[in-house]
Amino acid sequence: MAEMNVPAGGGKKGAKKVRSKKMSTRVDLTAMVDLAFLLLTFFMLATTMNKPKTMEVNKPAKEEDDKKEEPPIKMSKTATIMLGENDKAYCYTSPDEIDPDTKLELDSLDYSPRGLRTFIQRRQSEVQAMWGDKDELFIMIKPLPGSTVKNIVDVLDEMTINDVKRYAILEPKDPIDSLVAVTIGQSRE
Amino acid sequence: MTAMCDVAFLLLTFFILTTKFRPQEVVMIDIPLSTAQIPLPENDIMMFQIAPDGRVFFGLDDQNTRLKLLDRISSAYQIPFSDQQKDNFRTLEYWGMDIRSLPEFLSVDPNERSKVFQPGLVFDTTGNQQQVEDLILFSRQENPDLRIAIKGDKSAKYKSFDKVIQALQNRKVNKFNLITSAKSGQE
Repeated sequence: MAEMNVPAGGGKKGAKKVRSKKMSTRVDLTAMVDLAFLLLTFFMLATTMNKPKTMEVNKPAKEEDDKKEEPPIKMSKTATIMLGENDKAYCYTSPDEIDPDTKLELDSLDYSPRGLRTFIQRRQSEVQAMWGDKDELFIMIKPLPGSTVKNIVDVLDEMTINDVKRYAILEPKDPIDSLVAVTIGQSRE
Repeated sequence: MTAMCDVAFLLLTFFILTTKFRPQEVVMIDIPLSTAQIPLPENDIMMFQIAPDGRVFFGLDDQNTRLKLLDRISSAYQIPFSDQQKDNFRTLEYWGMDIRSLPEFLSVDPNERSKVFQPGLVFDTTGNQQQVEDLILFSRQENPDLRIAIKGDKSAKYKSFDKVIQALQNRKVNKFNLITSAKSGQE
């Protein structure tokens, strides 16, 4: 089929033209077959890649009345990531005791691997050094109203990437959070 | 050679026809990326879609469950539905509006539906109404195997997302899936 014989002038009805040289055109159709296979391969791959993936999220059940008082976690085992506006994440570690003089070390990070991931890994190694097991690290994620769904998904994704075993999405209600919110100038409402 | 060309075109036609059409989306949603690998389950899904402006839409993937849900809504909210409206609801993929304005929406011709602006599900609980929670409760009672999926746009504000989560938690649902598109771990 690499060639196709097109009868020149043979299909015309009734027209009695003086035929000059009978030219048989030969069209090479290999290119069309290649194109067909390319399109085919494309469709075969595209339909399987289209399936959207899901991310499982398990939240603890909302306790209504009797809140079991869990022993408060040592702040030095924790890290807090507050999700702010404009794709900024504010990360800090609350000191164990808060008094009027405590200076808070606040990092404003973006969601790139160099930003947030570095912070998480640094905290993990700090907890490992201090407590012996980096799985003791408990990360509190506190989204402010100005953050977006993408921020949440990115943070949850970083949890999975860095294999953080303990984390929770919480309301920014602690006193330290109000201090941070005032510092960065974003409201918690 | 001709035969090979024929086979190629046949296969091509087959694949073009068997790609499933995306259900008609009410609103364009740009989903965020994540490294999650679990593929979305095929059936028994209750989907919440969060548009960039914060509107929330609801959809069930099974038509029978939709009909049963409509019956429950009808008796709970005292709204009668005509057979034509019920049939329209059965084919409605996603919708987002006050439940009480459903009958009016369902009377609109299916081809004209995309022109009607849907204001999104009602979350406020004034007047003792819990529309979203009722939807969740009724759907889960009709089909206990339903899994919850949330498809949020990248730029949707956390507030709308939080409202959906609150409604789910109030109905004792603590496990749900966030729909994301694939991205490799190394960026």
